[in-house]
Amino acid sequence: MSNILTNKTIKKLLFIGSGVNDFGKEAEHDSAIYQVMPELTRRGIEVFVIDENPYTLSLESLSATTFWQPLTVKNLKSVILENKIDTVVPLFGGESSLRLWSEVVQSWNYGDGTMPNTLGLSIDMILKVNNLPILTQMMAQNGLPVINNYVLKAQDEANELLRQVQLPLMVRALHPIQNNTRHIVDRLDDFESAIKAAKSQSVTQEVIISKAINGLKEISLEVLRDSRGNKLQIGASEDMDPIGIHTQDSLSISPILTVQDQLISKMRSYAFKIADMLHLEGVLHVRFAVNDDSHEIFVIKVSPYIDQMATRTALCTGYPTMLVAMNLAIGVPLEEIVLPRNFGANAAMMEPMMDHVVVKLPIFPFGELAEAGISVNRKLNSVQKSVGTTLGFGRTFIEALEKAIRSAHFNNTSFSPTNMATINDDSLIQQLIHSEDNRVLLLIEAIKRGYEIDELAELTNIDEFFFHQLVHLHEIESQIEQDIDSISSLRRGKKYGLSDGLLARFWHTDFNIIRALAKENGIDATYKAVEPSAGEFPENARQYYATYESENESAPISSESILVIGSGAFRMGDAASGGYATSVTLSELKRLQYQTIIMNNNPNDATLLPHLADKQYLEPLEISDVMKVVELESPQTIIVPGNRKKLIDALKVLGQKVVILPKEKHMPIGPNEKQSEFAINLFFDGEKIYPINLTQHMAGEMRIIPQMIETIDGIDVLSLKNPGVYQFIWYQETIKWQETIRASSFGKDGSWVRPMPFGQIAYLTKVMDVPLMRMIVRAGLGRLTDQDFELLNTLGKRVTHNKLSLVAGDINYGLHLQPNQVIDGTRFEIGVGVDDHG
Amino acid sequence: MTERHLILEDGTIFKGLGFGAPATTFGEIIFHTAMTGYQEIITDPIYDGQMIVFAMPVVGASGIHAEAYESVKPTIRGMIVHDLAEVSVNRQRRMNLDRFLKQHNIPGLYQVDTRQLIRHLRETGPQKATIVDYADEHAVDQLVATVLTNKQVQNTATPKPYANPGRGRHIVVIDFGLKHGILRMLGDYDANVSVLPYTTNVEEVLTLDPDGIILSTGPGDPRTLPESVLTLIRVLQTKVPMLGIGLGHELFALSNGAELMPLPSEHHGMNHPIQEIISRQIFYAMQGQGYAVNAETIDRKKLFVTYRDLVDGAVQGLRHREYPAFSVQFFPDAAPGPLEATEVFADFFETVEDYVEHFNQ
Amino acid sequence: MLNKEVLDNASLQRALTRITYEIIERNKGGQDLVLVGIKTRGEFLAHRIANRLEQLEGVKIPVMAIDITNFRDDVLNREDSLGLNEEEMTNIADKNIVLIDDVLFTGRTIRAALDALIHIGRPNTIALAVLVDRGHRELPIRADFVGKNIPTAQNEKIKVLVQEIDGRDAVEIVH
Repeated sequence: MSNILTNKTIKKLLFIGSGVNDFGKEAEHDSAIYQVMPELTRRGIEVFVIDENPYTLSLESLSATTFWQPLTVKNLKSVILENKIDTVVPLFGGESSLRLWSEVVQSWNYGDGTMPNTLGLSIDMILKVNNLPILTQMMAQNGLPVINNYVLKAQDEANELLRQVQLPLMVRALHPIQNNTRHIVDRLDDFESAIKAAKSQSVTQEVIISKAINGLKEISLEVLRDSRGNKLQIGASEDMDPIGIHTQDSLSISPILTVQDQLISKMRSYAFKIADMLHLEGVLHVRFAVNDDSHEIFVIKVSPYIDQMATRTALCTGYPTMLVAMNLAIGVPLEEIVLPRNFGANAAMMEPMMDHVVVKLPIFPFGELAEAGISVNRKLNSVQKSVGTTLGFGRTFIEALEKAIRSAHFNNTSFSPTNMATINDDSLIQQLIHSEDNRVLLLIEAIKRGYEIDELAELTNIDEFFFHQLVHLHEIESQIEQDIDSISSLRRGKKYGLSDGLLARFWHTDFNIIRALAKENGIDATYKAVEPSAGEFPENARQYYATYESENESAPISSESILVIGSGAFRMGDAASGGYATSVTLSELKRLQYQTIIMNNNPNDATLLPHLADKQYLEPLEISDVMKVVELESPQTIIVPGNRKKLIDALKVLGQKVVILPKEKHMPIGPNEKQSEFAINLFFDGEKIYPINLTQHMAGEMRIIPQMIETIDGIDVLSLKNPGVYQFIWYQETIKWQETIRASSFGKDGSWVRPMPFGQIAYLTKVMDVPLMRMIVRAGLGRLTDQDFELLNTLGKRVTHNKLSLVAGDINYGLHLQPNQVIDGTRFEIGVGVDDHG
Repeated sequence: MTERHLILEDGTIFKGLGFGAPATTFGEIIFHTAMTGYQEIITDPIYDGQMIVFAMPVVGASGIHAEAYESVKPTIRGMIVHDLAEVSVNRQRRMNLDRFLKQHNIPGLYQVDTRQLIRHLRETGPQKATIVDYADEHAVDQLVATVLTNKQVQNTATPKPYANPGRGRHIVVIDFGLKHGILRMLGDYDANVSVLPYTTNVEEVLTLDPDGIILSTGPGDPRTLPESVLTLIRVLQTKVPMLGIGLGHELFALSNGAELMPLPSEHHGMNHPIQEIISRQIFYAMQGQGYAVNAETIDRKKLFVTYRDLVDGAVQGLRHREYPAFSVQFFPDAAPGPLEATEVFADFFETVEDYVEHFNQ
Repeated sequence: MLNKEVLDNASLQRALTRITYEIIERNKGGQDLVLVGIKTRGEFLAHRIANRLEQLEGVKIPVMAIDITNFRDDVLNREDSLGLNEEEMTNIADKNIVLIDDVLFTGRTIRAALDALIHIGRPNTIALAVLVDRGHRELPIRADFVGKNIPTAQNEKIKVLVQEIDGRDAVEIVH
């Protein structure tokens, strides 16, 4: 394969993974890399990938040579040199791999030989992109609207500026004496005093004046560009919350609804101009601040790499973003991109259109933390506080919103409508101005209390459209509450995405009764395809969402299908391991040649990749949502994570065959500073247990104990129900790494058995090179092979010599959450990495 | 909001809720896949006499704005959407979609399964349709008996000349149902514009001493226009640089001997890749067409094809071999739609400058 | 030194496209057409125009490149060497030549090229296409096809960047 434009040959191509999960970094990069690797291999390119994250699916791909190592300049360089890598793709690993790659480049010595070719973005541009002032200057030179900082000393200079730049302005001190010297000037009257104040706070008596953009609308566009300079727009979204609240913490909606075409077209041309300016061959996410009234637009962030917007818009529209991005990176122009058959003939070149609405909701960790008695700063601001993302698909904003709320599984008290009713007016206003995680419910509460729409719009800087929608939702709900058992109310409620559970609560009954009532009256979900032509052309769609309209487009795929219930959004504790488990399950089912169906709503992991299942339902995962899909598809087996006890019971009542992936409801608490948690790890095939190995876990790190373990006594097999990997746990007051453990220490008082957390399964899979998750799936389906049994019988007799330990990620909980006490990185895990202790 | 019905000529009936005017109307039904610019679309004269189904799931959320009209008075016959967004009418937004349609006596229908309707229409092609209160036999009979007008250009084009003065080059626009976007673009170039009715003649045009001529967009089938229009174009293209847009492009093709063909499924949207053949460059533009120039009928000695739609291969632009005259099927005024298409106007004005310069020499 | 972009990639492409269309308009059918690019950048531009003609008409127009560094009237040591082979020299006889250069300035380069072409091959007609006309002519020469007129001061430099050499297409003023 050779790059058409530069004629540089691509033989050995390295992906740099994005490393440990963190705030704002879930599994989107892994998902992107995992998706494109087989396509590159198919073209005869030898693919390599390096990452340190144990949940990385790409590291288990058969399409690549993998390196599971800490992401350091040294490791990266030695992988490149030892394997004669000729090409590096940093863009798929996002911002962090871009940064790491530029460090490698800058430390490249003459003696290191030829530096690999960088695809997608030149080194020169990568360095510019990594340097904000230079990037901003470059954009300004290209006539792009950026926010300029003016440094001034004299009042009359400031007055002159006042006539050039419209209010509101932000005035700050240059070289400030103390920290916060920001003044937002909304009124001319305040201008002089703000300048005076800022000057007095500056060591040099100088002030910085810039346009204040807090309160403006935040818009994201996703575009791409090929080596010939062709560009297209592949996604767009608007945040409900204004600038000032981190975009990841905002409710956002796709497509853009409240902004006029003229402004969107202008932003589109700016994004195209930036792509040209960077000579990008790939995808670009540009964030804008927009003032609807004055038509002012500012570029506020430029991300010429894969990020969550890229994975999310791909899911929202059905556009094959990653496959196209990969083609662009290796120099294939848009016109010549050949896609797998499940995409339409012109899919790469057609700008995707949407005939549905997608609402993205952030997942905040406040509820779980509160349960553990940890209080944090819940006020949303420009520092991200959410840890995950979930999507709701519908045909209206309300339907999509309701489904997103249900997908988010709000189970903490701040989301209970009764709790809202008790909030007093003062704190309501306070929270309207300084919003918290329960924003949507608070807005509804304000509407219930009779606040006027324009009042609310002014207080919150949220577009009126959203208030009209919430008023509408409130009307629908109150009407349903009044008209108990009314069929037309039921129909209306279902149409707007209300769940059977919520309707049951309104009517003081059971959700099964609601289900039955809907069924009797022919109120049934219709599934619509997510495909990029918005109905203009027939497409081989695989992705569907439920709505309540007249035409259903989804037909059962097979009488022998397996339905997999995903684990939803990324949360603390589960972190990315839930997505890992689901994705591996799907991959294994494919390998076993089952027809597969997945239900999930997380855009940031691999579970919804088009090639991992035969069909995807982009849905909430409540019992009623699952039941609808089960009714339609009649799968032969349903695979459910073990923490979904109510769902499992409900499915069993219906006589469905359920395979359970053993999992506890909550992540276990980790050992404290003075103790170690020990585990005998074992595999249970449904009848018998097989020892795997021993692990020791001290706060922040887990290692394998290099010791054989042939027999286990004292574990009651009967207490285990489902095949899976389990741990026999006990604690000891030691903070020394153990080389061996005497058998007499097993089963001390206070020991117990639990399913192994998915994260540890991912770790052991890699460190032992034993496909544990796949074997759980095989065991659940009764498809363990003789080879599997042979392996199981020998596992305990092996000693793992790999010296990689699992270590808690360096997550800055303090910056993001400002907790009142130390947060347990095990129970509230966000990301883990590896460390070499050898 | 009351329940109303949409009846198609093939007998299919869709239920929805009425908004806008409570009137009963008849028209040809088409679908539009653009996700922005509903105001520009419903006020564009090219949709005269038609009912438009929007694929965009929620319509109305960005209000109605003074700067986004494409004609003073919309003449569509109906608007069918899935969800209608309410927005307040206040000091900044004096108008919303519902009120706007009421004012212009245009009915709207919402809460329709528009995706089903579009999937249906993409198979059947455009057909006659009616929006009524009751879908009874009487309504169906009425629909079948209705003959739709083919006088759309007469309905929308100016009967009298008018000027849109500027200080730059003098551009004569021949109006077949002109949309405002074209005038706005000409304004961007500070052109001194004279808009003439399509019934004008060569002398009238040349007496004005134009530096360039634009054949405007317009609704309907160009073949219903009098032969004199084609003669006018044939003469003018030899005298002054010329740009035909939309219907103007179709007329330019007809006057140079090419034939038109109806598209199997009309195309209205802004997401098809259009390729400039000479540079292979791909871009996007607002498109709205029921007809396309039949490539096989193009006399290659006179014309060559300059742009193609890469999805259906349809001809999207033509250029004369001997004269500085060219035309585009898509809408380069970007009202609504991608701004990259406005390059066509840059092309036109560069051609005009060139022409003026050569003329002076 | 700060360079100011006066023609971006898109405008440069459009200029070449328009020149191509005008060449077609004035050479009905493109018969007996030969494109002659003046080295170095004129040669690349000639190929671009030839590619465009090919996309449009499906015919390959011959492209030649001449090097007139040894043919300028202000260069004393003048040799009649244009870097053309014999076949190419005979090929321009009775042909309609479009001479292509990146920038038209004093006119001396063009004059040298004209001298050379007439000297070696007796073409039927010669037309001139330039991407940029920056003014300051010292000879009575004008271009038939101009991509863009860019008025300049004497002390400014116009730099035409082409993808083939510079990695991108643009025209910049160098102060």
